Formats: sequence, structure tokens, C-alpha cells
Amino acid sequence: MTDLAQDRLRLAVAAVMAAAALLWWATAGFFGHELIAQVAIFAIFAMSLDLLVGTAGMVSLGHAAFFGAGAYATAGLTVLLGWPAWLALPASMVVAGLLAVVVGAFAVRLAGVFFIMITLAIGEMVHAYLFRSRTFGGDDGLGGIPRPDLGALGLTLDDPSHFSLAVLTLALLVYLGLRQVVGSPFGQVLAGIHRNEARMRALGCPVRHYKLAAFTLAGAIAGLAGSLAAQHNNFISPELVTWTTSGEALIVVIVGGMGTLVGPVAGAAAVILAGHYLSGLTEYWMFFMGLMFVAVVLIAGDGLQGALERLARRFGRAAG
Amino acid sequence: MLRAEGLDKSFGALHVARDVSLHLAPGVRHALIGPNGAGKTTLFDLLCGMVAADAGRVWLDGADVTAASADQRARAGLARSFQRNNLFADMTVAANLATAIVLAQGHGPVFWKGLRRLSGVAAAVAEIAALVGVDGVMNQPADTLAYGMQRQLEIGLALALAPKVLLLDEPTSGMSPDETAAMQRLIGGLPPTMAVLVIEHDMDVVFDFADRITVLDYGTVLFEGTPGEVRQSEAVRRRYLGAEA
Repeated sequence: MTDLAQDRLRLAVAAVMAAAALLWWATAGFFGHELIAQVAIFAIFAMSLDLLVGTAGMVSLGHAAFFGAGAYATAGLTVLLGWPAWLALPASMVVAGLLAVVVGAFAVRLAGVFFIMITLAIGEMVHAYLFRSRTFGGDDGLGGIPRPDLGALGLTLDDPSHFSLAVLTLALLVYLGLRQVVGSPFGQVLAGIHRNEARMRALGCPVRHYKLAAFTLAGAIAGLAGSLAAQHNNFISPELVTWTTSGEALIVVIVGGMGTLVGPVAGAAAVILAGHYLSGLTEYWMFFMGLMFVAVVLIAGDGLQGALERLARRFGRAAG
Repeated sequence: MLRAEGLDKSFGALHVARDVSLHLAPGVRHALIGPNGAGKTTLFDLLCGMVAADAGRVWLDGADVTAASADQRARAGLARSFQRNNLFADMTVAANLATAIVLAQGHGPVFWKGLRRLSGVAAAVAEIAALVGVDGVMNQPADTLAYGMQRQLEIGLALALAPKVLLLDEPTSGMSPDETAAMQRLIGGLPPTMAVLVIEHDMDVVFDFADRITVLDYGTVLFEGTPGEVRQSEAVRRRYLGAEA
């Protein structure tokens, strides 16, 4: 399979998932719409981590810090400062992006396990701060976060049906945007850094600048997901920023297929839906989820999308 | 074009470069020879800035690059290939070359345009691929290529930078006689303004292409001169050429 064929397969998978999501949205009721919003938000978060882990090869265990920064920025700007929600959304991305610049300036100097450790440590620092912060309600969190007023467009975002469609649209835009980035010269440089950093330096690449740019972009998009989560729940708490949030997203990226964008989206959907439906069947649903993850990683080390692409390659050879 | 003065480097008790000086004029074909462990690859690392020298200075095209990092030196026109293939293993040949071309043409920060839409990149990729003879395997992942092909791609990545100075670390190592001959033709056909420094063990290759030869031994320059002078040198004969000459 050529690079072009691989790219087309990914686009086709994305189109199928988008169609399925729309169909689900059209037929869903109140709870369905709530689930769709949850899936779409987690998918945005997972895609932002995939840019970092799958494309640039920077395995972070502190990505929830930027998700949390977006959520807390939205809460702070709307509830505490009285900003309108539509303005708080992009502002939250800026806040998360700025935090990523500061964190990244230190983190990108390190590689491998040391990078994992510093991102984990910084994530925990952000969590510890928010847990104590009186301004943001400490461990009780903060409620009453509004959603943007899009009445001018005929949308009532307080209606789960409208909100889920808006979030779904944003998830699609994030996918298309990140797909563009991954397929750009910039994305090619990140892919080169992922595979062989030393060779990239020898080819004249200022590796740290590119890593910082990727870290910042991923942070800003995680901030978008965080802002949407705050609006969705109307509530924030330090729970959002725990390292298990980062870990869960990392599992989703790995199981879905690193560097494919569509894989992590499928993984995010699977985790949210399995969490919802399996938890009704058995108390041990987390245990069975874990088993499934282990099975996927053992059978397909390159994740679900990777397995699909290998299958397509085999089929392509058999056919022609 | 490239000048080094008094380069010195020790790894602990191991003194791998002692007061090494080297001068490459524009367009020169210069060979670096010496027994295994003489410090040839380390000298490349020092010249490229991948290893920091303990002492000494390096000038590239008249500018002092002693304090410059490896990537800065590469952007200033100094490219190298590696002794052991150092590729983007699971990328296709085309993607390997495109990665280098993107950097060479300064498109790295462009995130809003598709890579495939940049016709300048595609054209340069095709040109380099044809030059190093990998144009028939463009869609194959680099790690599935035959060893000789990987060697050619390795040189292609360095050439993609269109450097002023090109350092090749044993370009023909592990190659068949045919592949070696192809590599000799490739080196012979490089732009006449490009200064080329090659580490090479095959003396036939060295005497075939080199204008000048530096003989390195235990981290010091044992001899420097034209191929004729090197052949005549008693010291080189004793230390290195031995029975071969």
C-alpha cells in the first residue's frame, strides 16, 4: 500500500465514522446526545494527544494538564470574570497553549522516559495546585459554567441535541485540521523527528523548536476539549486533571493506532461507549476493558487502525 | 570551504583526536584514510558538531562555526552521510527524501499546505532519487531495501541538502563490486563546486577519485598530500598501506 492509499483509507474510515455519528445523532434521545457529546470531546482530546505521541513521538503522561487548563480557564473566565462563553472558548485554547509553551520549554529538552516523567510530574503539579486553589473551589470544584449563546444562529446549546451536534462539528473540524497538519511539510518533519532525531539534526532540523511547536498545538487543542468538557458538565473539578485522564487518553491512542488520528477517535468512542454499556452489565467492566486492550495490543501492536491497514495491504497484494 | 584547526578530543583516557587540522578547498575531492580506530568517524562528528571538541576551531565558508550546533552547521551547508545506515526506517524512500528536501528548501514550518501540493519538493525528490539510483523503489519502506540501496539512499539524504561541503563516511562499505563502481560514478559526478571529504578503506576507490589524502592514525594526522605523495611516503607505507602498496 502506498502512502497515498493509506491516506485515502484513513479518510474513508473518518467518513464512515462521521456518517455513523450523524446517524446516531439523528436517532438519539436525550441520553444519546449526552453520550455523543462525551465521545466527541474525548475524541478531540485523544486526537490532540495523537499528534504528540503518534506523529511527533513524544509520549506524554501529563496531557490532562492542558485539558484541565482549558476547562479551568473557561470556568474562571465565565463564572469568575463574567466573560461570554463564546469568547472564553478560544481564550481557553490560548491559555492551554501558553501553559504548553512554558511546560514544553523544559520538557522538550528531555527524551524517552525522562520526557514521560517530567510531563507526569508537571501534570501532578497542576492537579495539586487546582486541588488546593480557593479561587477555583479546591477539591469541590466550580459549577454554573454557561454554554455559548448561539441564538443568533438559531441554536440553543443548552439543548443536548444542539450541543452534541456543535461538539461533533468541532471534532470533525479538529480532525480535518490535524489531518492537514500531519500531511503538511511540518507534519513530515515531526514524523522524521519521531523516527530518527539524530538524523534530523544532521539534516539541519532545529529539533527542539519543532517539538515545542507540536507540544503547544497539542496543548491548545487539549484546551479546546477541556473547555467543551467544562461547558458540557457545567462543572469542573480537579478530577479532570488527574494523571489517569492522561493515561486513559494514552491507552486510547495506542489501542486505536498511533499517528492515524482516526484510530484514536475510534478508541475514544469505544472507551466511552463500553464504559457506559458494560458498566450496566457487570461491576467488573474495567477488568474486561483491560483484557480487551491487552488483547488488541498483543494481536495488533500498531493498534486497530494499524491492523486494518495491514489487512488492506494483504488484500491489495492478493487482488493485484 | 571547510577548515579545522587544532581539533582535540578525549573520551576519558582515550585520546581520539590530537591537534587535527584539515583544509578543504572548494570543489576538492579529499579522502580520509587510516586504520580502524584511527578516529576518522570521530573527526566527522567533530566537524559536524555532533560531538563537541575539547579544543580547536572549525570554519565553514569563512564563518567560524565552532560554537554552532550540528543542525546550524547543516543549514550552513555542511552535510554528512553515516557509516551505518541512518535512515527513517519505516518510511518509504520517497518520504525519506521528502523529509530531507522539506528541510533543505525551508518548508519545515509550513503546516497549512499539503506536502504533496509542493511541486518543488516532488521535483527535488525525483531528481535526487534518480541521482543516487533509488528511483525504481520510491514506494518501498527504507528498511525493506537491499543493503546497497539503503547505502545509496543514505547518500541521497545528505545530497538532498545541496551542501557546500559533503562528508561521506565509508560510502562503499559492504557493497558489491558493481555497487561500488556505481557509487564511484556517483561521487565522480557530484557538482564540481562541492567540497567532498570521504572516509574510505578501498584504496582503489581512494586513488581513483581523490585530489588530496589525509592519513589519520591514533587521532593524529600522520600525513597529508596528493595521492602520489601518499604512495611515496615511507611512514604511510609502514603504518597503513603495508603489503597492499
